[in-house]
Amino acid sequence: MSEKNLNVAAGTGSVGAAPGSAGTAPGAAEPMVRIEGLRKSFGDLEVLRDINLDVMPGQVVTIIGASGSGKSTLLRCINLLETPDAGHVWFHDADLAAEHVDVNRLREKIGMVFQGFNLFNNMNVLDNCTLAPVTLKKMGKAEAQEVAMRHLESVGLADFARADVNNLSGGQKQRVAIARALCMQPDLMLFDEPTSALDPEIVGEVLEVMRRLAAEGMTMVVVTHEMAFAKNVSDEVVFMDKGVIAEKGAPSKLFSSPEHPRTREFLARYLEG
Amino acid sequence: MSSAPSGEQTARRTRGRVASFFLDDHRYVLLGTSAAAFVGMLLSSSTRPAMSFLSQAFTVELVMYYLLVAWLVVSAVALVTKLAKWRDYASFSPFAKPAVRRALRYASYVVWAIVLVLFVDRVVMGVASAWNVAVAAANMADPKRPEPMLESMCYILYQGRDTFFTGLVTTVELAVFGTVIAFFLALLLVFARVQTIDRPDNDFVRFWKVVGSGFAKVYSTVVRGTPMMVQAMIIYYGVFGIFRMTSLTTTQINGIWTTFLAGLVTITLNSTAYMMEVLRGGIESVDKGQTEAARSLGLSQWQAMAKVVFPQGIKYSIPGLSNELVINIKDSSVLSVIGTFDLMFATTTVAGIYYQQFQTALISTVAYLILTMVASWLLGRFARRFDVRVEAVGSTSDTPVKVEE
Repeated sequence: MSEKNLNVAAGTGSVGAAPGSAGTAPGAAEPMVRIEGLRKSFGDLEVLRDINLDVMPGQVVTIIGASGSGKSTLLRCINLLETPDAGHVWFHDADLAAEHVDVNRLREKIGMVFQGFNLFNNMNVLDNCTLAPVTLKKMGKAEAQEVAMRHLESVGLADFARADVNNLSGGQKQRVAIARALCMQPDLMLFDEPTSALDPEIVGEVLEVMRRLAAEGMTMVVVTHEMAFAKNVSDEVVFMDKGVIAEKGAPSKLFSSPEHPRTREFLARYLEG
Repeated sequence: MSSAPSGEQTARRTRGRVASFFLDDHRYVLLGTSAAAFVGMLLSSSTRPAMSFLSQAFTVELVMYYLLVAWLVVSAVALVTKLAKWRDYASFSPFAKPAVRRALRYASYVVWAIVLVLFVDRVVMGVASAWNVAVAAANMADPKRPEPMLESMCYILYQGRDTFFTGLVTTVELAVFGTVIAFFLALLLVFARVQTIDRPDNDFVRFWKVVGSGFAKVYSTVVRGTPMMVQAMIIYYGVFGIFRMTSLTTTQINGIWTTFLAGLVTITLNSTAYMMEVLRGGIESVDKGQTEAARSLGLSQWQAMAKVVFPQGIKYSIPGLSNELVINIKDSSVLSVIGTFDLMFATTTVAGIYYQQFQTALISTVAYLILTMVASWLLGRFARRFDVRVEAVGSTSDTPVKVEE
């Protein structure tokens, strides 16, 4: 019975969003990412059920929710690290879920930052950043290094350009990972719990970089448990529960007067803890 | 050059293990050195070889012998005291005093030196004398094999030296070339083996990925599931049979399809299958996140493999891969079944001439042992160059940051 409620909530959410984005006056920006009726299951387990979501250019969308609610899977569907079972993921004009789509070309424009950093262990910091630009953009090595140094400087790690990635702290690794993604000059950045593997006292240095990125107008989709970040930085907060979007809206509204009982329950636990 | 082992290990590792045994660790000074002294006494009691230099200095050896006895007596007293006064040994026994302990350590050096001298005099000089006798016997007008074991072995080795040398060189060539070629073939094969269908692939690419991966699987199963001796026969006689269908004469075929070539092909194909599995293990142990990160940047499956996964996977596989050379040195011996002139074939040949199976086998055992030991020593140094190390999972801010110059 609660499941039915959730579906209703998800349905209303999508109904509320669809006219807003599709029916805006001509000339207004098209959504950069439009997710329609997305479904994904792992075996018998339905992880995502009928997800509808629009991300406008320059928007910061934060996805919150309990573990196992499908947040990360949704994010990974946006750059096709997980293949959706049904539905569409439009990025600009291309449908990522279509068969035989050139995923590699599209991924160049979608940066991703992982919970476990995933820096290339066989390279130093600078090579981590220049690998993709040199390989894919046919950029000269010197030029790629120049770009990489600019981004490393912006995350405060220019001095570590020649360092072995295995010798960095977690916070440093994650900042390198962000710089690496930025080197491809992406239109969209995906963050998959970027601070969950970090010590509490160094979470701040990573969030600071993300905050600056948001201020510069980067379009971002962030899966996080950092409620303060969701509240202060994002333009829209999406609360996911059991594979559906239970509620979404402006952070001011969602955090102060959540409508869905599950949202209230979830936020209450977070705010007291 | 790139990174030193972590802090606490460094201090202990600065000295080699042997140096540390003599200089740092005196716990076993009494018992260990007593064992050495006992061996020294046994050596001293054995018969002197012709070239013994101590036979000219009988008194010196006598003094040395009694020094060893004295050491055994002192050790026995010390150890009995220790056993009897187990609880308060440290405070009670004179042997536990620092000065006495230091004296014991220096005395133990003397014992080791004496044993070393005796070893050179009896064993090294013994082999040298046997070699002299054997060479002299071989160079006589009517060569006759001396009866004593050591002299007999030396005689066989000396007489068959050309045969043994040819066999040794062939074995080394087979193992080295076989392993190196197999490594590159295994790289190709493992590349085919780990292919998975990727979304952007068209049907043509998909077809070849399935075929390649299937071929690698079947190849590995068949080759690893059959003995190399049988494979050698199949390859040698099979290809020989194919050549027979042409107009070539048997002599011509023997010139082209030599037993060495057939042996090399066998050892290469065999080793390829094993190395492929080692490489696959290494590649599969690379964290999945590495591929995901590479793919998320837009790299294709091929690029992610070539630039990120393979370099790491190969590094993880180095210990297993280098082991393959040692295995090939030994396993090339089965190629003698098709007449490849390797060390094993040389051994059988020489043994047939002198009707001395055991002595000849002993010679080739020593030769194989030296080869494999040298190979693993070299490969160990080689692996250290690549700085093969295990990385700590999920480092934190506590991890020291080191910047390379």
